[in-house]
Amino acid sequence: MAGLATTFGSGAMTNSINELDHAQVVLVSGSNTTEAHPQVARRIYGCVDRGAKLIVIDPRRTKIARYADLHLQLRPGTDIPLLNGIMRSIIDENLVDDLFIEMRTENFFAMRDMLLQIDLDQVAATTNVSKCMIRQAARIYAQAQRSVICYCLGVTQHICGTSNVQSYANLAMLTGHVEQEFTGVDPLRGQNNVQGACDMAALPNVLPGYQSLDDPGVRNKFKQSWGVELPKTQGVTLLDMTHGGSVWSEGFEQLPEPIRAMYIMGENPMLSDPGIKHVEATLRDLDFLVVADIFLTETAVLADVVFPAASFAEKIGTVTNSERRVQLMNQAITPVGNSRTDDKIIAGIASRFGYDMEYESSAEIMEEICLLTPLYGGMYHDRLKGSWGLQWPCSDRTHDGTQYLHKYSFTRGRGRFEPGDHVEPAEPLSEEYPFLLITGRAYHHYHTGTMTRRSHTLVREHDRPYIDMHPEDGKRLGLQRGDMVQVDSRRGTCNFTVKLTDQMAPGELYCDFHFHEAPVNTLTISCSDPVARCPEFKICAVKAEKVAL
Amino acid sequence: MTGRYLLAKDHLVPLLRKIAKSNRLVAPVLNEYGDTLFSHITDLDSAAIDLAHQPQNSLKSFFFPQTEKLSTYLVEKSPKTGNVRYNFYPHTVENQPTAYVGVRSCDMFAVMYTDMTFLHNGERDNYYQKRRDNAFFITLACNHPFPNCFCNATRSGPFLELGYDLQLTDLGDRYFVETGRSRGMKIVEQMGQFFKPASEADRREQFQLALEARGLFQRNVHVELASKILQEQDEPVGIISELSSRCQDCAGCAYVCPTCTCFNIADLPLDEESGERIRSWDACTFAGFSKMAGDHNPVQCESQRVRKRFLHKLLHDVAKHGRPSCVGCGRCVDICFGGVDIISFVDRVVKTIDHCRDVD
Amino acid sequence: MAGIEFQKQERQNKHQVGPFRQENIYLPHPAIIREIITENETVSTFVLEFEDALYRQEFTYKPGQFLMVSIPHQGEAPISISSASALTTTFALTVRKAGKLTGAMHGLSMGDVVGIRGPYGRPFPMGDLEGKNLVFVAGGIGMAPLHSALFSCLEHRQKYGAITVLYGSRNPDEICFSEEMKSFEQDENVKCLLTVDEAGDNWQGHVGLVTELLDMISIDPGTSKALVCGPGIMIRFVIARLESLGMQAPDIITTLERHMKCGVGICGHCHFDEKLICSDGPVFTRDELTNLENI
Repeated sequence: MAGLATTFGSGAMTNSINELDHAQVVLVSGSNTTEAHPQVARRIYGCVDRGAKLIVIDPRRTKIARYADLHLQLRPGTDIPLLNGIMRSIIDENLVDDLFIEMRTENFFAMRDMLLQIDLDQVAATTNVSKCMIRQAARIYAQAQRSVICYCLGVTQHICGTSNVQSYANLAMLTGHVEQEFTGVDPLRGQNNVQGACDMAALPNVLPGYQSLDDPGVRNKFKQSWGVELPKTQGVTLLDMTHGGSVWSEGFEQLPEPIRAMYIMGENPMLSDPGIKHVEATLRDLDFLVVADIFLTETAVLADVVFPAASFAEKIGTVTNSERRVQLMNQAITPVGNSRTDDKIIAGIASRFGYDMEYESSAEIMEEICLLTPLYGGMYHDRLKGSWGLQWPCSDRTHDGTQYLHKYSFTRGRGRFEPGDHVEPAEPLSEEYPFLLITGRAYHHYHTGTMTRRSHTLVREHDRPYIDMHPEDGKRLGLQRGDMVQVDSRRGTCNFTVKLTDQMAPGELYCDFHFHEAPVNTLTISCSDPVARCPEFKICAVKAEKVAL
Repeated sequence: MTGRYLLAKDHLVPLLRKIAKSNRLVAPVLNEYGDTLFSHITDLDSAAIDLAHQPQNSLKSFFFPQTEKLSTYLVEKSPKTGNVRYNFYPHTVENQPTAYVGVRSCDMFAVMYTDMTFLHNGERDNYYQKRRDNAFFITLACNHPFPNCFCNATRSGPFLELGYDLQLTDLGDRYFVETGRSRGMKIVEQMGQFFKPASEADRREQFQLALEARGLFQRNVHVELASKILQEQDEPVGIISELSSRCQDCAGCAYVCPTCTCFNIADLPLDEESGERIRSWDACTFAGFSKMAGDHNPVQCESQRVRKRFLHKLLHDVAKHGRPSCVGCGRCVDICFGGVDIISFVDRVVKTIDHCRDVD
Repeated sequence: MAGIEFQKQERQNKHQVGPFRQENIYLPHPAIIREIITENETVSTFVLEFEDALYRQEFTYKPGQFLMVSIPHQGEAPISISSASALTTTFALTVRKAGKLTGAMHGLSMGDVVGIRGPYGRPFPMGDLEGKNLVFVAGGIGMAPLHSALFSCLEHRQKYGAITVLYGSRNPDEICFSEEMKSFEQDENVKCLLTVDEAGDNWQGHVGLVTELLDMISIDPGTSKALVCGPGIMIRFVIARLESLGMQAPDIITTLERHMKCGVGICGHCHFDEKLICSDGPVFTRDELTNLENI
């Protein structure tokens, strides 16, 4: 989010997913696209079939990496030097788009000066990617007319996540591969509505549609509509919320005033947030905890009050996907039992507080969103019905939505080069903790498994926590397929069934966080990116040993 | 004995209204989101019956629901002995006579095919049979095959010669009606006011349409040749790995396939003392499909699973039933976003064999 | 005499259309655990009897057939019958603790109830075995279905030629039916050879694969039939060895195992090429199996 916001001015996919069909080069980074974004992956497969080149940057040899023309199997956490190396090659080979840089960007000289300091041999040593491959990647990406970058959490979930993203933006600007159809920088959002949640200001520092909290005009507009004065102070980030109150938390500033109560909706930080012990301490220290969810999650168990919420199938509303497309979801069944939709729960609470929210339907709520949020100005339910939805920005009823961003100019005016430097991972490997653990998601489960682990078929496909390990490491540890491994970090312990696979590089392990039996986030580190506050889920140091039966 | 009649298009809904007095109606209905689906019709006047598009679902779920309760069980601990008592109570199927209207040849053929599995393979599945016994079919011949259709290649359309009760052919302002099974004849007899005898000219017109329809297929799929090749030799190397690398393991192909009837049975505990035994659609492309106790799996990798599905359709079912278990409806082609569909497979098998040039 | 024959026939017919199959093919019937015999650490034999007196009377089965066994909240799994088809109302299942269901079954005690459907599947061709020299080759828990056939033969010992049992196990502790195996040492009716992969301290017998035992006996291919059951890979090797000893494909009989859900040829789980293990098998002769790769 923050990375693209500072460079381009807007933190979302610049292209539409369909535009991938016409790309000549697709660069996929930190994304197990086949499993996490199958609908994007199929377009990539399709355009590869039509002759496009595929470059994958990933420490794991994932399915899409096997499919690539070029797989840069970098050492985790070395995106910035790798990208700098690629950009240096582009400069060396004179593949820079001078006109684009001149007309559309700023701060290029700082960028160029930095790149000229780069030593490719050193990059190769840091990243574990050969010079030859770096140069090849540079040529393939820069020489094509329509190159697209797709990246995902493998890029952002690092302490230098913002800087990682900026490096990809730098690369795109250096070659003029942005601001046009069929070429751009596309962050793939993890969940069906994470984009929508951000758009609706589930962020600490903005109002809906990324309108500034500090802008008196904006504040006034909301005041008029809602009839109340909006607080001027920014909120706190999720990690500060779940770790800030804990007496044991390291690396987090104690909040000026500790949070005393929380209302958590559809989120299960007791499995999904790093440093679960801290999260638990924080939640237990609260005076009052309310959780609204469709099942009694690990977090809901700690709550004073639990609201039974309705599932997606029981309500009408919109979701916004990666490509900024707002889509209407139709109610399939009426809410089961005593459950209520989130808006009904919130309205109920608000009215007990003495503030009546009288919306007769979610269409009426959407009308208010249209009124107050310029990005969503024309997203009325009747327009979304019976169609594939509209892509923001969509200013009014006559606006057809926006296929790709930054047409003619970047949202922030000129695109800004942000030179980045290598940042070592927060937790280096050591003799005691020699393995690097990467965490991610599996195909058959969603997030903390609240829903998917209740499906018999999905559970049959994936029924227990696995850890992926290179066969050589397995051999050294005396492990065979199906053996149990105990994995320890400085913070916690989990047991996994081992899968020996050459998807992994030696010395690196991979697991997903869907299983409460192996709460992986007791292992992960709670250090995070200083800007976006996104935790370093992708790297922590662990040791592994066979569990004797 | 086939009778031939005409039914004015204006009379279709009035006819259905009469039929609906003693039957439930199921027909392709265009819903408010623009999808055409076989649906129960509760109100004939408000339902938008859509005979112009291929329904996205087949009739499979009407005979074999996606999930279905087989029984309820109780587990009681005897306070005296501490022993467990364990009893099952069967769930009986609620079903009433149903008229399935606007069923195209592929889907009708598929019902006949699934009959072999559920009724004639060994044991009779009483859940399926109850629904099947209640079924009455008014089929619709396909004058205009859809883009991914290839029922001509699987010999299951576009016009039917058997299986239906009544088959309608669209002759513009009227339907040409053929009676198949005895129930169809009975309808014509009971509701004679709607039907008038067809002339020889009408019959010729229908015959002409049937001929033309055969020429309108956009896909040329050599299903029989592929079956023959597979009988003679292993499938050419590389095809399976190429296709399986695109398979997302979503089972969409098996779920939309009108002849894929594999199912799972699982217990769903309701509390400590009771639960339900549920059966649900399953798919051989799932890794867990053949997984045995202790994680032993005779069908190991993804490519083997994809292979198994295609060979089952084109080779093993030919050996068992004398014809492939594909009816050419094209739904797996529509739904698979990896292109891992039966046409891709057939095309690749045929393409790699030299003598395919001699065909057609 | 004819009367008895007729009754038998009638019973057979009843069995075909009888209460087990008639009303609802998916409905299990409660059976009480009468006895649990611990074979070794992971294997126990459960002796069962139907709760309902009518079923108890009606129930018959043949060696090689299997039952679908339900355990509370765990679902159902196919388990082959290990007892001989003697005229008692009880029947036995020998079960290894392998997955969730079998694990839960091992947690049950005498007097507890399980659900039973069946018997299903094509049995061993017992009639074809008459007058032949029989070689039973078993590996691990694969002894269970062979045990049923073996003891049926021993009940009518005079009908058969020489009977040889070759039984391989991972280690001495994992041998099933060890009492019976021991009793064969003194029994001139049966020749029994055992082998283990890993010998313990107290093991005096053969160490090695079960195929090696085949070299220690003499088989006359023309007059012999072999019945083979065990892990897939073991079956493959034993069949290869038997063929190299000159045995003809129709004389080699094996029984296969697959994941099953219905047991009656509908659910599709046990597809093995064009065959269904549950209804076309689980017993097959070698000539019926073209492809041994994935057994």
